[in-house]
Amino acid sequence: MALFRKKEIATNEFNQVIVGTSLTKEAWKRLKKNKLAVVGGVIVIIYTLIALCASLLPIYPYDEAITVHRNLRPSLTKTAGDLMLEQEMKNLFFQAWRQGRLELSDEEDAQIEAWVMESKTNQVWDLVYARGMEALEAGSFEWNSSEQSRIDRMLNNIETETQITIDKVSVVYEGKTMNIEDMSYEELRGLYASLLGVDENTLEESLVNEVRSAVSNELRSKDSTLSGEDLDSSVEMEMDALGEDGIHDRASTNIIGYIEQIAQRSANSDIQAMIDSGSMTFPYEGTFDLSNGLHVELEVTKMHERRYIFGTDYLGRDLLSRIIYGSQVSIAVGIVGTVTSIFIGILVGSLAGYLGGKVDYYLMRFVDIMYGLPYMLLVIICMAIFGRQIVNLFFALALVSWLTIARMVRGQIMSLKNQEYVEAARSMGAGTMHIIFKHMIPNSLSIIIVYSTIRIPAFIMQESFLSFLGLGVQAPYASWGSLIGDAVSSMALYPYKLIIPSIVMVIFLFSMNFLGDGLRDAFDPQTKNQL
Amino acid sequence: MENKEVILSVKNLRQHFPIDGGGLFKKTIGYIRAVDGISFDVYKGETVGIVGESGCGKSTTVRSIAQLYKPTTGQVIFHGVDLCTADKDTLLKERRNIQMIFQDPYASLDPRMTVRNIILEPLRIYNKRNLLDKNYTEEELDEKVKDLMEKVGINKAFVNRYPHEFSGGQRQRIGIARALALNPEIILADEPVSALDVSIQAQILNLISDIQKEMGVTFIFIAHDLGVIQHISHRVIVMYLGKIMEISSSDELYSNPLHPYTQALLSAAPIPDPKLERTRQRIVLEGDVPSPDKERHCCYFYDRCSKRMDKCACAVPPMFDCGNNHHVACFLYDDKPVAEPADDTPTEGELKLRKKTENKAEN
Repeated sequence: MALFRKKEIATNEFNQVIVGTSLTKEAWKRLKKNKLAVVGGVIVIIYTLIALCASLLPIYPYDEAITVHRNLRPSLTKTAGDLMLEQEMKNLFFQAWRQGRLELSDEEDAQIEAWVMESKTNQVWDLVYARGMEALEAGSFEWNSSEQSRIDRMLNNIETETQITIDKVSVVYEGKTMNIEDMSYEELRGLYASLLGVDENTLEESLVNEVRSAVSNELRSKDSTLSGEDLDSSVEMEMDALGEDGIHDRASTNIIGYIEQIAQRSANSDIQAMIDSGSMTFPYEGTFDLSNGLHVELEVTKMHERRYIFGTDYLGRDLLSRIIYGSQVSIAVGIVGTVTSIFIGILVGSLAGYLGGKVDYYLMRFVDIMYGLPYMLLVIICMAIFGRQIVNLFFALALVSWLTIARMVRGQIMSLKNQEYVEAARSMGAGTMHIIFKHMIPNSLSIIIVYSTIRIPAFIMQESFLSFLGLGVQAPYASWGSLIGDAVSSMALYPYKLIIPSIVMVIFLFSMNFLGDGLRDAFDPQTKNQL
Repeated sequence: MENKEVILSVKNLRQHFPIDGGGLFKKTIGYIRAVDGISFDVYKGETVGIVGESGCGKSTTVRSIAQLYKPTTGQVIFHGVDLCTADKDTLLKERRNIQMIFQDPYASLDPRMTVRNIILEPLRIYNKRNLLDKNYTEEELDEKVKDLMEKVGINKAFVNRYPHEFSGGQRQRIGIARALALNPEIILADEPVSALDVSIQAQILNLISDIQKEMGVTFIFIAHDLGVIQHISHRVIVMYLGKIMEISSSDELYSNPLHPYTQALLSAAPIPDPKLERTRQRIVLEGDVPSPDKERHCCYFYDRCSKRMDKCACAVPPMFDCGNNHHVACFLYDDKPVAEPADDTPTEGELKLRKKTENKAEN
């Protein structure tokens, strides 16, 4: 009511508008003067925007694995093809050095031997590559025939291999053009049966069997001890739980995949013909009408012309897009965790602080007991019991993280409770809820805001820690922690995989901390310059 | 005063706060007797001043009357309803007519609310529960705020300002406007001027007497400045250690103090005339105010009284009526009729505690 009503403008006798300056407004003024905090805030906003708009950004899909692009180093100038070739040549030069065909000075030989002993592979590769290219240019080294043919083949591949991304498959069905993703299960089944030229009933059976075997695989991957009759009965239970609709949903997804494959296969010959005739310019976007009645909108790009400015991971996925999508998960964990813990904390803390007495005593003893339990262990147990899904991660983190907030809010409320304006409110007949929501929470909001900006980095760190241990988000999703965790095993060989996500994360955490410090100074100027 | 209508009547009011012992279960090991059995009447339209040194229970008395604390025993009768035992709805309805003004103008206004919201808070609470004579719309409420601000002398243009943008005196005016918002019959003013400097004190006191003349509000006014009390109040209650020592009309009390404590108190007030001030004779009391955590069955002032007698150590003095509406709790005047007998029956909590200690002693 009053909150949403436009404030009436008050003017004095000289017709000047008199506006009040609230404490929040003053804090905002102070915050704006703190440059470090402003920079921190801007960086945080940029990160959040990038994470939110990840699907709109011109980046490669985070889960698209291109096997030949494994472990490419980050490069701003070179395409994936160049890097692949460079990597191949490094290998070949090294082999040539081993075979004695690439001759280096004695010192360099000794150096390489030493590096090999210390498994400093990168230095070895760089050195032989540099020397090898010099030798190649000077004419003192030549590839042998098998090496030459490998290089030629690779050059040819780089020149010709294309990546086809299907945007949309549509079909003329009963006189209407329909996107297959919008079609019902029955329609999809009919379409697929007609494409394959088989009977619908046999198709139905094989589709159900497919779902069943997928379910069985999932169960086995969850619990490897399951086998024989146990497995069969749990598969049946799982199938029953899915129900007919569930099975059809999964079957529909499968059919869409198959139809897309068929469409791509049929379109391939047309695309190949266009490439051969040279009429295709890359990147190419177009629609193909296929003989079997399918219309496919697709995009053809040269696969090896991709550029990975942050490199790729061990499956050939773009590290840049994985970091961006990972920041989605990490920032979401930070924000959702903080918000839920603040909600629970405010509720428990304000009740305990305001009501006092027995309520306070028992709530706080409960908090003390929860404090006593090892925090990370609880989260790990939660994750183990409820499964490793992102939602469970949020839940597990929020479950144990409200304790500090509850205590803090309780303390604040207890000190506010004896303020005269609260007594005044009570003397005019205000109820408990009115006092808590109108007086106590607005007055403790500033420290809650400050505390939550300091909590967000802590949550991100915890999520990263869990993901690092393998308990956090599961593939193909990524988070900063899981990226770092994945990179640790190949730290010596591909240090960029570790360093880049770490830097990204550190920048965010620093900004968040600067912002939090700035907010604290702004809301509570007396504590500034105090320890 | 005789034919005046009694508006509020306090009967044997006690306010005991439990002292918690340490340990796991927080046993009560005693009571602080902040207010220990006081009775007085308040007449319509007058100002009752309460004086006494720090810790004598002045503030606790008004807070108990306003039901901010639940009194341990006793009655606060307002409009024929005992507020101490009234249920929530009746209490809310009656409380509308009892509002408070607080001591510290810096702490008594919520720093996150605008002046408009502060003044409107009581109105909104009562409006929401349909306890006002009619349901006010937001526009009518805005009008009301403007009226109130005009009445207490704040520029109407400042409705959207926040408390920290005002000086102490202006804030106290806002506090008074808030107390007036519901048109109460009684305003309990808990040292409304002691946090202000002297020139502002005068302004606020004048504002309060103007309001009283204009609206006929009854005031219960606490101060420890005797001059302020003399200026503003019709009748004065002198308190010591949770007990009333003397009740009288203001003129009578200042010209003819009867109780030894009142005499000492008045002799401590400086006289604003250097010649007279030099001749002022001070009665200096020995010792400090005793701790209020003991049960007393003697005169509460016994320890420090210069005129104590053996009788004083044996019983709590009742109120003696010395005529002219002058009541004193002192055995010096035991030839006068008893206006009100002393009541020192222990409270339930005390009896329980006593039993416990007796059991312990037996074991």
